Amino acid sequence: MRDYIVRRVLGMIPLILIVMIVSFGIFSLVPNPFAALIENPRIKKSDIQRLIKAWGFDLPWYLRFFKWFGGVIRGDWGPSLLYPGSLARDIIARALPVTVRLMGIELLVSLAVALPIGIISAVKQYSVTDYVVTVFSFLGMSMPSFWLGLMMMMLFSVVLKRPDGMTPLLPAGGIITPGLEDASFWVKFGDRAQYLVLPVFVLSFISIGGWARYMRSSMLEVVRQDYIRTARAKGAPERLVINKHALRNAMIPIVTLIALSVPGIVGGAAITETIFNIPGMGSLIIQAEIKSDYPTAMIGLMLASVLVIVFNLVADIVYAWIDPRIKYS
Amino acid sequence: MDNREVLVDIKNLRTFFYTEDGVVPAVDGVDLTIHRGEVVGLVGESGCGKSVTALSIIRLIPNPPGKIIGGEIFFHGEDLLKKNEEETRLIRGDKISMIFQEPMTSLNPVYTIGDQISEAITLHQKIDGAEAKKRTIEMLHLVGIPEPERRFSQYPHEMSGGMRQRVMIAMALSSNPELLISDEATTALDVTIQAQILDLMRGLQKKLGMAILIITHNLAVVAEMAETINIAYAGKIVESATAKEIFKAPRHPYTYGLLQSIPKFTEKRTNEPLPAIEGMVPSPYHMPKGCRFNPRCPFATEKCREEEPEIIELTPGHLVRCFHPIES
Repeated sequence: MRDYIVRRVLGMIPLILIVMIVSFGIFSLVPNPFAALIENPRIKKSDIQRLIKAWGFDLPWYLRFFKWFGGVIRGDWGPSLLYPGSLARDIIARALPVTVRLMGIELLVSLAVALPIGIISAVKQYSVTDYVVTVFSFLGMSMPSFWLGLMMMMLFSVVLKRPDGMTPLLPAGGIITPGLEDASFWVKFGDRAQYLVLPVFVLSFISIGGWARYMRSSMLEVVRQDYIRTARAKGAPERLVINKHALRNAMIPIVTLIALSVPGIVGGAAITETIFNIPGMGSLIIQAEIKSDYPTAMIGLMLASVLVIVFNLVADIVYAWIDPRIKYS
Repeated sequence: MDNREVLVDIKNLRTFFYTEDGVVPAVDGVDLTIHRGEVVGLVGESGCGKSVTALSIIRLIPNPPGKIIGGEIFFHGEDLLKKNEEETRLIRGDKISMIFQEPMTSLNPVYTIGDQISEAITLHQKIDGAEAKKRTIEMLHLVGIPEPERRFSQYPHEMSGGMRQRVMIAMALSSNPELLISDEATTALDVTIQAQILDLMRGLQKKLGMAILIITHNLAVVAEMAETINIAYAGKIVESATAKEIFKAPRHPYTYGLLQSIPKFTEKRTNEPLPAIEGMVPSPYHMPKGCRFNPRCPFATEKCREEEPEIIELTPGHLVRCFHPIES
């Protein structure tokens, strides 16, 4: 097992290199950000040429890649084009924690709600509970996040007020109330939490349905297996049959799905972030891509790629841990 | 004729399945008696209701679509069908155990066999883990599994089909049941392993004295094992007698047909085709009127097509559901 992990980790290095080259190459197809300045009669052609040269856009993409890659190896990811004067690394470092907090909580909330209701709706297939869960699952899956977000904002930030009658029940957007920098930890904690309620609710409502359906179908597949009948025949109470004999088998495919969705935590949710005015990764990376800010966008891409590769390995390891039939050598 | 105490007495059991295509009377009036320590065979073709009868005894009929709609199952004089879920659960795996057809899929792939047998023990006996492990290893030894200590921590996929069926038997017998139901337990195994498992079951029956209900479509299996044989056809028992009588002097035309269709190696080989029962098992959605065997029966009369025969005791201990039983 240890050899297997070492081998897989070593195998990641060329893989990540390939991902870097390919994504950088694709990026170079975006026209250079200074080309558009030609339209502006107040900017001198020679100034534009100087900018293009300074940023290296006069070189072919592979030479630019080596220049960029040389920096990356030394830990220098380059300056941001989107926010002149800032390093791309610092821009990402500001957005990343915001997104990880939002998406991490969203994933935990979704799983904590969806897995139990998926199990219940499988165990009580075709019951009223099952139908209610099914309807809400499909409702959530087909819900546009911007619409739900705006409706929630309307209800909790416009219609409903706090007891004082003035301030909205929940903030409509943002991540933190200004002026609380010196407050105690718990005050800050509560402040951040109230900003998270609405976006987490919206994102979870949309993803719970999918998770519940996965869990339900996996569980339905397992409860009709012969070994479940064996467990009942030996006199195991229903609770034990489901929670011990069925659940562990039903979790095998779910664990893979969970592991593969963890990298999404850094990707953010661009639409919801925009609606709730959250300065997270989702909206940042889209901006960076539109504005050809390749140093910033490449960090985002590399983070996501590395996490996808790492969590594929994590999925395989957890897989072997749950299912003794799987052995790596 | 049997002086032993009656252990299980099934009276007019009816288990129906309610499907989208209609009602399937899988078991429709089964009567069956098992005495303490007796080996009873229940024989019939696929779909005749043998497995459903077995699952009805331990109340594991999947509901929906299945439902026990009538009859009584007395166990030690108490009707199991009147007990609640918790009371039946405590009997399952303790007083009545069951082993199944598919040893390859009947064990949970993610737990060790030791864990699965110990669980069966601790569910019914108040003993600690160490004691349960000791008992599990004893059971593995009893069913002839070599190196039981090492096997204890193995997973089902590390064992062959025959070994897994031994594990199932060890699990079923771990609480000293009074009745072991074997539902086609040897069908999925190849012939030599089948013989080993049957030998094992016979040996354990002698040693532990439990009653066994052997469900099979294989007459050779019951011929070797059972004292009493019940022949089922289309959800009903059509003949019940001692094994000797069933094989020497069958009275029901169906039993007779079944026995005729077994190749006999003692006779000289001819080029005659093997006798077979004409026709097909009736569709469960459209049971024939009158005797359910009448469309296939060479002796059927007008009466057989109109009325359903009751089961009658022709000679002491020999019951037949037929208007025109074959004269011996």
